[in-house]
Amino acid sequence: MLGEVILVGVMVGAVYALVTVGYSMVYGILKLMNFAHGDVYIFGTLVCLTLLTKYNLHPVLAILIAAIVGGGLASLVELLVYRRLRAEQHRLISMITALGAAYVIQNITELNWGNQVMFFPSIVKSKFINFWGLQISVTHIITLFVAVLCIAVLILFMRYSRYGKAIDCVSQDMDAASLMGIPINRIVSSVYFMGGLLGVIGGVLYSSSYNAVSLGMGFRGTLVAFTAAVIGGIGSLGGALLGGMILGLSENLIGVYISSSYRDPLMYSLLIIMLLVKPTGILGSSDQAKV
Amino acid sequence: MPILDTKDVTKQFGGLVAVNQVSMTVNKNEIVGIIGPNGAGKTSFINALTGIYKPSGGQIFFQGKDITGFPAYKIAKQGIARTFQNLRVFSNISVLENVLIGAHCRIDNPFHHIFLRPLRSKKIERQAYAKVIALLKNVGLEEKKESLAKNLSYGEQRTLEICRALASDPELLILDEPCAGMNSAEMDTLADFVKKLRDEGQTIVVIEHNMCFIMAVSDRIIVMTEGAKFREGTPAEIRNDLEVQKVYLGEQEVE
Amino acid sequence: MMMGSGKRKWLLLGGLTICLLLVPMLVTDIYILSILNMMIIYSILCLGLNLILGFTGLLSLGHAAFYGIGAYTTAILMTRYNFGFGSAFFASAVLALLVGIIIAIPTRKVRGDYFCLITLAFGEIFRLVATAWIEFTRGAMGIVRIPMPKIFGIPIATETDFYYLGLGILIFTYLTIKAITDTRYGRAFIAIREDELAADTMGINTAIYKIMAFSIGCLFAGMAGSFLAVYQTVVTPSNFRLEESCLMIIMVIVGGMGRNLLAPLAGVVVMTVATEVFRSVADYRMLIIGLIMILVLLLRPQGIFGSSSFKS
Ligand SMILES: Nc1ncnc2c1ncn2[C@@H]1O[C@H](COP(=O)(O)OP(=O)(O)OP(=O)(O)O)[C@@H](O)[C@H]1O
Ligand SMILES: [Mg+2]
Repeated sequence: MLGEVILVGVMVGAVYALVTVGYSMVYGILKLMNFAHGDVYIFGTLVCLTLLTKYNLHPVLAILIAAIVGGGLASLVELLVYRRLRAEQHRLISMITALGAAYVIQNITELNWGNQVMFFPSIVKSKFINFWGLQISVTHIITLFVAVLCIAVLILFMRYSRYGKAIDCVSQDMDAASLMGIPINRIVSSVYFMGGLLGVIGGVLYSSSYNAVSLGMGFRGTLVAFTAAVIGGIGSLGGALLGGMILGLSENLIGVYISSSYRDPLMYSLLIIMLLVKPTGILGSSDQAKV
Repeated sequence: MPILDTKDVTKQFGGLVAVNQVSMTVNKNEIVGIIGPNGAGKTSFINALTGIYKPSGGQIFFQGKDITGFPAYKIAKQGIARTFQNLRVFSNISVLENVLIGAHCRIDNPFHHIFLRPLRSKKIERQAYAKVIALLKNVGLEEKKESLAKNLSYGEQRTLEICRALASDPELLILDEPCAGMNSAEMDTLADFVKKLRDEGQTIVVIEHNMCFIMAVSDRIIVMTEGAKFREGTPAEIRNDLEVQKVYLGEQEVE
Repeated sequence: MMMGSGKRKWLLLGGLTICLLLVPMLVTDIYILSILNMMIIYSILCLGLNLILGFTGLLSLGHAAFYGIGAYTTAILMTRYNFGFGSAFFASAVLALLVGIIIAIPTRKVRGDYFCLITLAFGEIFRLVATAWIEFTRGAMGIVRIPMPKIFGIPIATETDFYYLGLGILIFTYLTIKAITDTRYGRAFIAIREDELAADTMGINTAIYKIMAFSIGCLFAGMAGSFLAVYQTVVTPSNFRLEESCLMIIMVIVGGMGRNLLAPLAGVVVMTVATEVFRSVADYRMLIIGLIMILVLLLRPQGIFGSSSFKS
């Protein structure tokens, strides 16, 4: 039993990491809590659902299209809502507009798909295999595999491509990067795009392994991403992975051994405690502001 | 007895020693100038004095009392007021309210009096108001008391910041580069004003890059380089000190 | 602004109060009175929130939770422990104040956006626990049949009665907050909003003042909640969703934050009327609120009637 719970926890953790990475990258660059993140990727996940069930598209193709839609939506939100507030305004202003954007997307999603929990088909035939005495679902293994693969590609991309380095530059010092001729708007746009894209992949993986998806998972997803990012160290890639893993694991253990109705309150408590005790996260460091 | 007495005050940021064992005294009714090249640690020293940074070492005595490591608001209550190198006026509120906020810790109006002794509370507030108006008149900002601070000219905002600091009736006033961004006419007015304050009994520490200004107002000058105190003397001594000139060589402020 | 031209302002306020007192004589339509009563509740909430957000610059996304604490306290005390409305109202306000203090103490030094997340998480915890703790709160079903309140033996039964009761609480709220903010306390809050570090060097103990502003704002949210409980006779967790907190924030912002205490009330009127007008398209409610949130902040961040906005 414990073995299976941990394995599912690792799988959920990997998916959470995928969802968190996109959010954390945005934070790293703009220091903006993107409240629309979860709603964007649920929108994409539901697009994928429609493509799968209504149009019977091949899963890989459906995920690809949905991910691009999610990425596009994320960049669109950035373009319309956040960009104008980026330079001069108080940070809290963009947080409120981000919440507004979240509500708008939620409402559009609700108009199209309703707010009920819907069945999400498994992307692969669910089958159990016996592995060292553990009953393991193939879906979970594949989910884990895909999530890890995406993260690995992202890490390689950030490390070795010119684009990745440019993103790093911008997040260290936007003004200096701009002076060096890095096209800030394009970089920011593409970070949002990647965030949305990875989020949708995460959302689809999660939904298909639980065979369920609903509107409510959007805002919850935003908070999952916040919590995981804060635990690991907000703005850092490694932190997002670590945080996602910790959150996924602990959530499953709590859900199974304590009570699933207190799973979310406990997650929120963890968020509060982290923000109070070590807001820079496990991997972060702090510095004193200059006066 | 000196009003301010620091002993080996040190401030480190990680490996960087921004302030290195600075000891100095300020006597009542005197203007002490602090000069030094960029990055010498002048502002960091002042920040350590006023509780914005916690000193990493050393001791600070103010009017005989050890205030080392006090939080900023307590130090302000003890009677040290300051201005900032990069203007920090409260920009979205009126000039009047800015200065009233400066007087905050001298308005003796406990919270429960608002409800239990409303008349007394109102009277105290009115007194503060009158005092602030007088202060604004004194610096020539009375006309603009209703305008938002951000709508003042740069020089006026500097003046406002000094005025706000003065509103707390400080025993010691610290000015961090008050002339930055001022034209020479404004600078002369400021120099006269600072000297007038001293003549009225105010004790002042002033950091400034502008040599004309600092030589004109200071009774005593302290030169800092690389975090440490390098020289101390009268303006005339400092002006003629070859070592000091060497420190400043290449700096545009060389006279 | 704060001292001058006081007489005219008070004259205006007096006139406004008399008009408000006369309203039920002119309006007999129950529907309109019920909207007015909801406006009164939001006005009390927004006056408190303005102290937190408009004066002190703390973005609290958990205001609905304190509203809920007030509502549940009154509901539970009156249905299970035979409390009268007066004592339940008092207990609700005090409990909201205490919880406000408990939240504000550990968060007194955290950064603005973290504060926002913490209050959001607290608000969600409150709602989720209210839903999950069935023995105590009766879960999603909510607490029903809250008895009719009596003030000095006079039963408060009709919409008009509730209107006067609510108006009384609103006027009390207004006068209290006005009295506080016209002194050095109000200025200290504003100083914190404008520049916390500079406020510190003015001798303002910013931690204490933040705790004060936050918990006083929560106190009034507790009162509003208590009034809601007896007015609706039902409280359910869905009354206190994050959406509600957002709605209050947007009311304060639309009206205008800060010194002018009437501005947030104007925001309440505008937003309530807007949501009522769009009632026929209830499916688009969140879309409309969301769009207003975005558009107001993009186009007129100081609000319709306000002068000060967030520092820029
Ligand atoms: N909060 C901080 N964190 C890290 N380093 C700091 C901090 N504040 C100051 N420093 C460093 O301490 C050194 C001294 O800086 P400080 O601002 O005190 O110099 P200054 O003499 O006031 O210079 P200037 O004339 O340019 O104002 C500098 O190297 C600066 O980079
Ligand atoms: Mg300096």
